[in-house]
Amino acid sequence: MKMTPAFLIVGALLVFWASTFIIVGLPSMTMKDNPSEIWRPLSPLEREGHRLYVKNGCSYCHSLFIRVNDWDIGAERIAQAGDYAGIEPAILGSERTGPDLSQEGGEHSDDWNIAHFTNPRYTTPISVMPAWDFLSRHEIQALAAYVQALGGKDADVRQKRQREWKRQAQAAYAGGVDRNIEWLHAQVPEVWRRMPNPYPATEAALQRGKRLYQQLCINCHSPIGDGNGPAQPFLGPPPLNFTILRRHLVENRYIGGIFYYQIMNGITGTAMPYFKKHLESEKIWDLANYLAVSFVGYTDANTEPRGIDASYEGEWQNPYPPPAVDQAP
Amino acid sequence: MTNLFQKPQSAALAFMVAGAVWFVVGAVYGMFSAIHLVAPEFLPHVAPLVFGRERPVHVNTMLYGFVGTMLVGIGLYYLPALLKTRLWSEPLAWMAFVFWNLTVLSGPLGFAFGFTQGREYNEYVWLADISLVLAVACLIVVTALTIVNRREPQLYVSIWYFMATFLWTASNYPLGNVMWHPATGAMPGLIDSLFLWFWGHNLPGLLITPLATGAAYFVIPRVTRTPLNSHTLSLLGFWFLIALYSHIGGHHVLQSPIPNWLKTVSVVDSVSMVLPVSIVVINLWLTARGFGGRVWNDPPARLVMGGIVWYIITCIQGPLQSLPFLQRVTHFNNWTVGHAHIAMLGFGGYIALGAMWHVLPLVSGRPVYSNKLINLQFGLITFGLTGFFIVLTMAGLVQGSAWHNGETVLRVLPQLSPFMVMRAALGIFILTASLVGLANLYLTLRPARQEEPLLRGEEAA
Repeated sequence: MKMTPAFLIVGALLVFWASTFIIVGLPSMTMKDNPSEIWRPLSPLEREGHRLYVKNGCSYCHSLFIRVNDWDIGAERIAQAGDYAGIEPAILGSERTGPDLSQEGGEHSDDWNIAHFTNPRYTTPISVMPAWDFLSRHEIQALAAYVQALGGKDADVRQKRQREWKRQAQAAYAGGVDRNIEWLHAQVPEVWRRMPNPYPATEAALQRGKRLYQQLCINCHSPIGDGNGPAQPFLGPPPLNFTILRRHLVENRYIGGIFYYQIMNGITGTAMPYFKKHLESEKIWDLANYLAVSFVGYTDANTEPRGIDASYEGEWQNPYPPPAVDQAP
Repeated sequence: MTNLFQKPQSAALAFMVAGAVWFVVGAVYGMFSAIHLVAPEFLPHVAPLVFGRERPVHVNTMLYGFVGTMLVGIGLYYLPALLKTRLWSEPLAWMAFVFWNLTVLSGPLGFAFGFTQGREYNEYVWLADISLVLAVACLIVVTALTIVNRREPQLYVSIWYFMATFLWTASNYPLGNVMWHPATGAMPGLIDSLFLWFWGHNLPGLLITPLATGAAYFVIPRVTRTPLNSHTLSLLGFWFLIALYSHIGGHHVLQSPIPNWLKTVSVVDSVSMVLPVSIVVINLWLTARGFGGRVWNDPPARLVMGGIVWYIITCIQGPLQSLPFLQRVTHFNNWTVGHAHIAMLGFGGYIALGAMWHVLPLVSGRPVYSNKLINLQFGLITFGLTGFFIVLTMAGLVQGSAWHNGETVLRVLPQLSPFMVMRAALGIFILTASLVGLANLYLTLRPARQEEPLLRGEEAA
């Protein structure tokens, strides 16, 4: 076969266009851009946020589709074609340096998002996301609005929940420090309130808890647990001051179960996220022991009811007397 | 000035010099990106230097600026040389140079301030798209008319690739960039991802690959002083490439809700890519067979052959990672970043640099200032890139396996920092290599050495 100029030029174009017709032409003729059941149109502010998302290259670290094999945040909704109807461009993304955001709407409270965009490390100490504090206040709000719309109608359900509980949490906070904690504890199911930490608060366990605290909690709740981390000015209600819990132990004894439950499920409405996708059981209990020992000066670890100790556990005796004993005349 | 635009081969040289400069710019932005993945608060509050803005500058400057520009320059040399004629119009090639580089320049100038369409590999804004298409149109005219006015009856394989590259790109680029939607450069809805990855993968496949293949087909037989192994294999490699390549972009969104038949087509054709790649590589290796010493001892040819080796590695890895089973672990993480680097810097970049050093004396009439510096560049890039490939692949496996096992992205993030530190450190080698290359180029071309009358390479030989 001799390559003449005509054969080269005509042939190269013919094969190219035939090949291209299959991969671009056929889908253009057959794919429909019909909305899925969770789709809803974006508001003008959300659309502005979408432009910011595109312009600032958020898509280089965040994907916008959940796969069948995903476990992470958003995994309840496997992406469907209609989720992207009319979005231009719907950048699916090719990299997950940060989490997938296709269902991020309502995952966090609005104030968490504002703090997070101002400096991601305020809310997520180990984040490597850039700080977006050079954006205007309005732009950060638009970006937050867009992110809160990701997930369509499902996101709206979550957002409604966030806002309803935020109202209650703010009311409780306005009632004063002690009333606030009573309200917080009242939201924890009864079985958790009298559940002591089943893990011994050994030196090793406390070290593990400390590491988690530094990775996940420290910039809201601060290194001394008083809730005055750098994120605090953004958040309402502000992060909890753990040291006050010393006078709010359940029956002057129990605190482990409450810590566990609130770390696990978060406090929807406030900036406190849930951690049950990030941490499994032992890590949450270790963290609970660290909070209790470091900031409350007491842990209910290994107190009754304790059942049969696990086989690996040593002869650990809880050295922390409950505060009520301390304060006895 | 008009003199310069008429001077034979001046446009070729300009493209090559611009490529060397863009390599440094791209490497600097790569360095910043790498540092930011380790230390996000490095140079904080500088809007143009946030990861989301500097990454597209790095990627596009490397693709279009360094590899693309340099390979076009090399082609503008071998096109008339292989056809035993002059370029049909040197000023038209200069116009292509201006339009092409305006597009590349719009990266650092535009993306840094948010002027981007934000679609991966399709970021250039509409005006920059227009500029690139104009550049390609100029190159089509120059190439086609140079072919028409040739004094050599046979069209060598490099010419096929060079001509076809621009024909394909002129169709590919406007389509993938959805240029009929100037504001967004995108289609509404999910189908956009098909347009996006159509160009996203045709950019390496039908712009860089044919240019680099053409350059390798030019350099290797010249250095080994052997005839090309097989005309038939050349034909097969060329036609398979175009028949298969445009189909495979879908493997970037394999796990998304695009239609299943598209996934099947993209996986089958991705795997089939082993064919054209092996054919080209075998053809070149058989051409050099028995003369490996000549390739190894010629620093530019060593780089070109290095590129061919990266090509075969890339294109064995690529088809494998298009398989859905493997992609569950390798997708969305640094594994892919490693793959992209061996494709663009390894395959495209090595061949661009090697062929540039090979062609430079022929264009400028002067020997390259220092072969040792070429060897140093080879060593630095090889160390840096091999390390990159290993480190990023390991990081990707850590991420992918952990996610697959149920860990969240956030929890795996701290595990990445040792890999990212190593990656940034290895990036210093690549940045240094780009600087060594630019210095060598400057020292070769600097006016001070311009005492003897200039000779065209062919005339001297």
